[in-house]
Formats: sequence, C-alpha cells, structure tokens
Amino acid sequence: MLEIKDLHVSVGGKEILKGLSLNIGAGKVHAIMGPNGSGKSTLSYVLAGRDGYDVTNGSVLYNGEDLTVLPPEERAAKGVFLAMQYPVEIPGVTTLTFLKTALNAQRRARGEKEIDAMGVLRLVREKAKILNVSEEMLKRALNVGFSGGEKKRLEILQMALFEPKLAILDETDSGLDIDALKLVAEGVNTLRAPNRAMLVITHYQRLLDYIVPDRVHVLAGGRIIAEGGKELAHELEAKGYAHIVKDAA
Amino acid sequence: MTIAVPSLDTRRAEALAAYRAKGIPHRRIEEWKYSDLRSALDDDQIEHSDSLAWAVDAIPAGVAFFDLADSYDRMPGWVKQCLGSVSVHGAMDCAALAFGRTGLALHVSQRVTEPMRLAFSAHGHARLLVVVDEGASLTLVETQAAGGGLRNIGVEFVLGAGARLEHIRVAEEAADSVAVESVAVSIGAGAEYRAHFTSFGAKLSRVEANIVLQGEGAQAHLSGVDVLTDATHADTTTHVDHAIGNTQSTQLFKKVAGGKARSVYQGKVTVRAGADGSDSRQTAKGLLLSERAEIDLKPELEIFADDVKCAHGAAVGDLDTDSLFYLRARGVPEAEARNLLVHAFLADALDGIGNETLRGEVWSAVESALLRTGAA
Repeated sequence: MLEIKDLHVSVGGKEILKGLSLNIGAGKVHAIMGPNGSGKSTLSYVLAGRDGYDVTNGSVLYNGEDLTVLPPEERAAKGVFLAMQYPVEIPGVTTLTFLKTALNAQRRARGEKEIDAMGVLRLVREKAKILNVSEEMLKRALNVGFSGGEKKRLEILQMALFEPKLAILDETDSGLDIDALKLVAEGVNTLRAPNRAMLVITHYQRLLDYIVPDRVHVLAGGRIIAEGGKELAHELEAKGYAHIVKDAA
Repeated sequence: MTIAVPSLDTRRAEALAAYRAKGIPHRRIEEWKYSDLRSALDDDQIEHSDSLAWAVDAIPAGVAFFDLADSYDRMPGWVKQCLGSVSVHGAMDCAALAFGRTGLALHVSQRVTEPMRLAFSAHGHARLLVVVDEGASLTLVETQAAGGGLRNIGVEFVLGAGARLEHIRVAEEAADSVAVESVAVSIGAGAEYRAHFTSFGAKLSRVEANIVLQGEGAQAHLSGVDVLTDATHADTTTHVDHAIGNTQSTQLFKKVAGGKARSVYQGKVTVRAGADGSDSRQTAKGLLLSERAEIDLKPELEIFADDVKCAHGAAVGDLDTDSLFYLRARGVPEAEARNLLVHAFLADALDGIGNETLRGEVWSAVESALLRTGAA
C-alpha cells in the first residue's frame, strides 16, 4: 500500500530524512520509534503533504501512485489520514461544523454524495461512543479548551469518521495519562482492518503495549537503522536508543 | 428637566468658529495620524456640500420624529435643547453641526422591539439625534450607501437612566467617497449602549465614537468588523470615558485587509479619578490578506482611579499556517480552508449583534466583501 524508497527530505535547506525506505502492506500496523530529532514528525508531515518539506530524492508510492505531487486535501480524499501530535485550535468553528465540512469535502472530491447535517450528526454519534466524545464537545469550538486527552480522542474520532486507508499516528500518546492512552488505543484497535494500513509513530514503547504492531522500525539520523517484530520495542525500552544507534553505526 | 444651554443658533455659530479654528484634520494631529483627511479633501468641499439624503422605512410606535430640514419654528423643545449639546468637539463634528441643515431627530419613549432602519446616501453634512427616555429602548440599523464626495455626519445619542440603544452601522464599499461619522454618546445610570460598526472601506472612512459613561451601572459594548480590499481605508476611533464608578465597557474589533487597503483602530479608555469599580476590556485584531495591506491597531488606557479592572490587547497577523495545514490535511481544499479561517477570525466580533436576523444580514454583507478580497 505504501512504498517509501530512499526518501530524502529537506526542511529550510537542511536535510532531515537521509534515505529512508519503508514498505507497509494493507492490513498491517507498523511502528516507527526514534529519539527526538530523528525525523519522525518530518516523515509524518511529508506523507500528509505539508508545505516546506521538500522531497529532494527518492519516492513515495501510495497504491502505486506518486503521493508527493498531490496537495494535502487530495491525499486526504484518497484515504491518507494523519492524526497530529498537536491538533490545532480553531475558535469560531464548532467541532461538528468542522467534521461535516471535512467529511463532505472528501466525499465531494471522490464524487460521492454529500451528507446533510443530521446524517453527519448520526454518523458522528455512532463513532463517538467508544471514544467517549460527548455531544457537548461537538458543540464547542474545534479543540478550543479541550484537554490533551480530548484533543487526541477527537483525532481518533476523525479517523473513525473518515475511514482512511492509510492512517499515520504522530505521537498520539504524547501528553496522555494511562487511562486516556488506553481509551485512545482501544479506539485505534477497533479501526484495524484488512484494507487499512497504519503507521504508528512514537518515542516510547508504552503505546505499543496497547496498539501491538506487526513491524517496528527504528529511525535515527534520518534513516531506518533497525527493524524487527514487536519485541524490538521492548528491547529499545530496556536498552535505550543509544545502544541501538551504536550497534547500527 | 430643563437645563440652561445656549440656543441652537449659538451652538451652531460656536461650532462654525471651532471648525474654522481647527481646520481640516491632518495626519500631524495624533488622533488623525492614520487618516489624512486634509489630503483627501479641501475646505471648499466641506463648506459647499449639502445634498445628503436619508430615509427611514417606518417610524415605530413609541418614537417621535423630527426632520431637521423643517423650520426652526416647528422644532420641538427636546430637539432645540439636545441638538449639538452632547459633546461636539472634533473639527468634523463641528462642521456637521455648523453646515448640516439636514438630518433627523428621534425621541424614544417606550421599549421598541422592531428594529428601525435608517439609510444615508449622497453627500453633504447631516445630524442625527436620538434621545432615549428612561427605561425605553431602540435598535437602530444605520446603513451607509456608496456615494461620491464627502459625507459627514454628526450623531448624538442621549440615553436616560436604564435606557438601551443598540446601534448597528454598516457602510458599503465606496472607493470614491470620503465618509466621516462622529458619534457622541451620553449614557445614564444603568443604561446600555451596544454598537456594531461594519465597514467595507472608502477612499477615506472614519467612525469616531466618543462615549461617556455618566451614571453608575452604565455600560457600553462596542464591536466591529472591517473587510477591505483594493486601495480602500477604514478607521475606527473610539474614546470611552468612565466618568463615574461601577461602569463597564467592552470593545472587540476585527479587521481584515487585502489589496493595498488600510484598516485602523485607535481606542482610548479613560477612567476618571474616583471612578472606582470601572471594568473595561478592549481587544483589536487584524488579519492581513496581502503584503501591501496595512493594519494599525492602537489601544490606549488612561487610568486615574485605583480600584479598576482594565485589560487591552492587539495583534495583527496572517492566516495561521498550522490551522491551514490541519484543515487541508482533513480534506478541506485550500480556498475553502482559508474562507473558513477568515470566518472563524471574524465570528466573535459579529456575535455581539443581538438580533439574529440583523446578524444574518451583516454576515451576508461580510460574505460579499470577503468574495471581493478573494478570501472566500
């Protein structure tokens, strides 16, 4: 589903990703772990299409199509979803209005029929239950005054609503206490599906106790330096990144 | 209530002398720093400019009405007493009193629920006087149609104890005209003045509000929105004077400027000695849609009392790139995402309009203006 080959990415003229390669098949959950500054967020932004992240070499194929030439909204319509580390607050737009706008924009782009306000509300309510997202949250301005846990739950609610084919979760565990983490992980696990690939980006192994990956990749210095099964996450936790980085050198 | 005041003729003569002494405001005068009226006008234009027109759709029950073009003999006592008496001090306000022979006066003696609509067009000088009796209320919707030349209006609002006036002013884009409006408001004990000023710009446009909170419990709530494009200009200048304690004022202005437009907010709040328990908040924010647009925000506080709550803030910026990326990454196309963010930026400044129908009307005018800026 996702094939990244020898990807080099520069931000403001500085090379951050230096030849990253990664393949994720449909139905698989891959984790990327890495220390701060290793390029984890850069990878998530370049996959979602943020301005200012220049692909200088290599390729990113999504279902065989070059992803790097598409604007972010087209990637979203084609099923790429990035759950962000820092969801933005937008005063003046209610959460429900935003969900309706985004869902219908994606549907329009795919040539599907738009869903009216009542229909969106019904759909959102159905998805909101498991994530404990209240009606009251939906009426508030998008992410304004939300706790860290509420923001992350809303990100996963959007993932449930948009039903992406490729979901990238960028440090979804950051700022969450253990209860909030479990709730979010449970939400993510219910979205595991044979036609959906996930890339879980995290600094800590803790999240991977709850979202158990098929493969773990270690990112350091802009490259994948180690790969393995889920046990690699535990090894990292026990020995630290320095150990692996040294071994790879 | 009778107060010994100079006759209307005397007040007019004094206003003429004051205007002549001051001359046309120019940018070396601090309050006109961002709006150089002198370069946009000449004396001749001010002294010979008299075809201003106004229209009201209906006079509601509970409102007495006098056409200021009517003869002095027929002028009711309340007009003679109040016209030009609230606080006429700026040069342009003086000019409106000295040269204006057109306009209208309203006396509100009840709670009037249906909004009253007043439309100004063409050019020249005019005066508007609204006296709201104790416990009475009115919603006044003032529209300014596009028109060439100079339009200079002097407005006086006199609010008795417990009175309430909601004043909604919407000025169409008028690239060829110079529009100045001076609003002087006197607010009695427990009375409330709510104003909403929306402007789509002119060659030069200025709304200057001088508000005095005269009685305990008096409140003034001001909000406004500018959406400007091309080479238009809009200046909102306010002075809220907490003359007595336990009074409250809020201000919230949002400005959007594209093209080579220039938007200005200058807001001064004065809390007089002894006016303890005054509560004042002012916020002004600007959103620049082009590199050549300019937004100047200048909130100012003058506090002479000890026990007060005063806050002010101002910020100008571009659309937030994080927000824009967030929306696009969720599938919202760039143009629609920009539009959504501009709406979100403006929303709270329009929420101040209490009447839902009127708020909808102002929003739709704002939408049209946003289309012209290319932000929608």
